[in-house]
Amino acid sequence: MLKQITALLIGVVLLAGCGTGSQSADRAQSKQKVVYHVNYDDLGRQASALRNIQNHINAVGAESLDIRVVLHGRGVSVFQHAFTDEKIQSRLVTLRQQDVAFNVCQSTLTRQGIDYRTDLFGVTATELVPSGVAELARLQAEGYTYIKP
Amino acid sequence: MSRKDVPITDERIQAWLDGEFSARESAELLAQVRADEELSRDVCELRMLKDSVKLAYQDIPDPPVHAHRRDMPRMGWSIAAALVLLVLGVFVGWNLNPAGEPARFVMLDPKGTGQAPATAQSNETRIVFHLTNPDMAVAGDLLDEIEIMLGEYQKQGDAIRVEVVAHGDGLGMLRTQFSAHQRRIHALAEGYPNLTFVACKNTIDRLRVEEGVEIMLLPEVEVIDSGVDHVVRRQKEGWAYIRV
Repeated sequence: MLKQITALLIGVVLLAGCGTGSQSADRAQSKQKVVYHVNYDDLGRQASALRNIQNHINAVGAESLDIRVVLHGRGVSVFQHAFTDEKIQSRLVTLRQQDVAFNVCQSTLTRQGIDYRTDLFGVTATELVPSGVAELARLQAEGYTYIKP
Repeated sequence: MSRKDVPITDERIQAWLDGEFSARESAELLAQVRADEELSRDVCELRMLKDSVKLAYQDIPDPPVHAHRRDMPRMGWSIAAALVLLVLGVFVGWNLNPAGEPARFVMLDPKGTGQAPATAQSNETRIVFHLTNPDMAVAGDLLDEIEIMLGEYQKQGDAIRVEVVAHGDGLGMLRTQFSAHQRRIHALAEGYPNLTFVACKNTIDRLRVEEGVEIMLLPEVEVIDSGVDHVVRRQKEGWAYIRV
């Protein structure tokens, strides 16, 4: 009888250990979710924002971060400045390589008469979202922390 | 027993001088006094003493009656206190609602519909826009985006609530004197009851002092005590936050 009880207890403890183990595995894989908001035209400010994001990655590590950048209104011009500004261009390329996701507001492009294929540096169809502000709200509801640099 | 045997003490003489003896007792004592020269002298001295004491205390003035003056200081303080309270009351009342300011401390969410956090389970999207930018073109962009979004949600039949909270440099859009979008804001407010424009009272008070003018807000605008406090509160309640 005692042997059976002991075996049962050991079994329970092992199962609990497994549970905890898988939890910590989840935690190691869970990432810090952040959404950066850019809606301003000023080139200096746009360059600073891209630098902020790179600093964030440098501090925490790309594998620990899930970074989205939502651009709408006057902020979409960063992809136009990239054609002429080397700093902006190189920062955009480097961030994309580190899996930073850029989301561009389709509504803004329509209002400003911008064709993403020809007018915006490196923007693909998968990066478009119907509405920038709606996307910001949606991401926050999904647990993304909001930052406007 | 014979009266002659009763010793004539000073006390007896005092009592006689004070008129405490009957007529017969007085007569007897008097006879004894006349018969005794020493006794006569004692009686004379005591009588003189009595008379001089009486004389000394004859003209003592009555103590002054201060009854009316004792009450006066107390009444004076009461009147002074009442006056101070009256002035204080008028002052406080005046400043609580100064002339010309619309006291529009509206309780946002009186039905508490905005209190539930906007979680993934909830079907209502809640967004608070935090406006601190004085640029009227930026304000116009904001109104564009809000109008498009509200229209989309209405078309889809999805629930959404939007608040635009203006404070600091962002208050201009909500002031009659500076807003370039007065008609537009009026039309949006009319068309969408789920859209609220909010002005920060701390900013209003500060500007009134700095500019020295009454701050006139658009009629659609609600007033909250503190803009920053309100946006923090909304975030805690689960609203999405967007800085303009």
